[in-house]
Amino acid sequence: MNESVPLVRVENLSKDFGAIRALHDVSFQLEQGKILGLVGDNGAGKSTLLNILFGRLQPSSGKIYFEGEEMRFKDPSDAMKKGVAIAYQFLELVEIAPLWANFFMGREITRKIGPFNILDNKKMKSLTQQKLSQYGFQTNVDREVRELSGGERQTLAVSKAIETNPKLLLLDEPFTLLSIEDTENLVTLIREINEKTSVSVILVSHTLSLIKEVSDCILLLKGGERAFFEAADSVSIDKMIEVICSK
Amino acid sequence: MAAARAVLRQVFGQYPMWILFLLMYICAGALMPDLLTPVNFQNTVVQGTVIGILSIGMTFVMLIGEIDLSIVSLAAFAPLMGVLSIQILGFPVVAGLVLTVVVGAGVGLLNGLVIEKVRIPSLVQTLATWWILAGVILVVTEGATKGGFPAEWNWLGSAYIGPIRAVLIFFVVFVIIVWYFSKNTKTGLRLYITGGNENSARAAGIPTTRIRILAFVLSGLIAAVAGYTLSARLGAVSPRFGTEWLMPAIAAPVISGVSLTGGRGNIINVVAGAYIIQLIVQVIRMAGIGGYYSELTQGLLVFVAILIDTLRRRMMGIQE
Repeated sequence: MNESVPLVRVENLSKDFGAIRALHDVSFQLEQGKILGLVGDNGAGKSTLLNILFGRLQPSSGKIYFEGEEMRFKDPSDAMKKGVAIAYQFLELVEIAPLWANFFMGREITRKIGPFNILDNKKMKSLTQQKLSQYGFQTNVDREVRELSGGERQTLAVSKAIETNPKLLLLDEPFTLLSIEDTENLVTLIREINEKTSVSVILVSHTLSLIKEVSDCILLLKGGERAFFEAADSVSIDKMIEVICSK
Repeated sequence: MAAARAVLRQVFGQYPMWILFLLMYICAGALMPDLLTPVNFQNTVVQGTVIGILSIGMTFVMLIGEIDLSIVSLAAFAPLMGVLSIQILGFPVVAGLVLTVVVGAGVGLLNGLVIEKVRIPSLVQTLATWWILAGVILVVTEGATKGGFPAEWNWLGSAYIGPIRAVLIFFVVFVIIVWYFSKNTKTGLRLYITGGNENSARAAGIPTTRIRILAFVLSGLIAAVAGYTLSARLGAVSPRFGTEWLMPAIAAPVISGVSLTGGRGNIINVVAGAYIIQLIVQVIRMAGIGGYYSELTQGLLVFVAILIDTLRRRMMGIQE
């Protein structure tokens, strides 16, 4: 990919739900390997934007360019094929399934026995163990997700997303309900992943200090519209609060 | 010694229902020694195959958090269509057998499509299918039992392979195939995942609608298999086929740990649950409890079994 072409460029994106205008005329771009902090109050349109970028929703108007090409993701599997991965606010893990099944959900490994494709459970378990260890998470991968702490679940969700080798990683409120220690660990993990793999990240969070610490640029949405889109070190937390709270 | 302990721990942990069934059988045998004869033991096991097969079919829809009430009339309708194709249309027996299975899968597909695309609740849709099929059976049979099947059709129900009934061998092979499918194929795993959290599965790119429709196809197909095995044993199809098996077909998966909200269940344990219920039915019959008290006693015992299992899982911290 041409280094000068942004990984993602969004032009005049709008989304209506009947009479409700969730997004209106939003434009921004994200370079490869950069982290964009997406902030705004509840109902500002952050999750709507993420869902459009992941193919769960279709925009009402506007354009999305991915690696310079105009793109419209039909559904999540289409977005995943193009290199987009997401870890959701409410995690979207299967509580009563084991870790390894969650880790490989949708991308199960199989081996051929005669004409049949059979799950390679042993390989999936071993790879899950190995990959989670790389992210500092040592555990029995046969454990069910419901047995994990909040921080462990987030680590699993983010690790699962990153294992699809995405070009763009969408993180929707990953710090919600985490302890201070787990938050620090997750911030470190996001930074490491970004540095090692040059994956671009769009990070949604209400914790403005974390956004400012981690992000290269910040997009603030208000009432579905772009309030500002600037480099992170040129925006103060006070300014973000002022814009969010202004009438 | 440590290896033996590990095996025992796995058996007790993963297959508690089989331990319970064996203990119950031994206790029942202590009270009614006839149960412990090889002939009676094999008869119990053979008679349990229909509930076992129906329960497995029900399990697949329960894995996605749904229910299929139409299995009981489908267990009569599908083999009836197979037999009529042989007797009236002159199909070879093998073609009649294939048609039986195809009819079962086809009705399951219809159920699945209506439930997923038209968004009618499974309880309502499969209830309607049950009544419609029951009505068609009455119209076609005029309320009479249909017999006169060719010997090849009845072979499975009457033959022996060595000392063992052919239907029992068929059942064991069937259970192994279905269990292997549920645990070792992508589709089997995706049934569990879709039932565990459909949103999560969809977000991961799993075609959840297709998976959910497949669960009903499997349920219908398996109901047809159950109906065929019974028709082969009895040499007949009756309009009343299967009506007494709906509650056992629901109860067996539930007491075996299949979650009513989806995502959890073990086929091997479901078979044990089916045999526990079959044993209860058999003991009641052998104890001479007949007439009005038979169904009441069966219902109460199944209720107690479900209650015990619910309390057991709550104590283990398994939430529904």
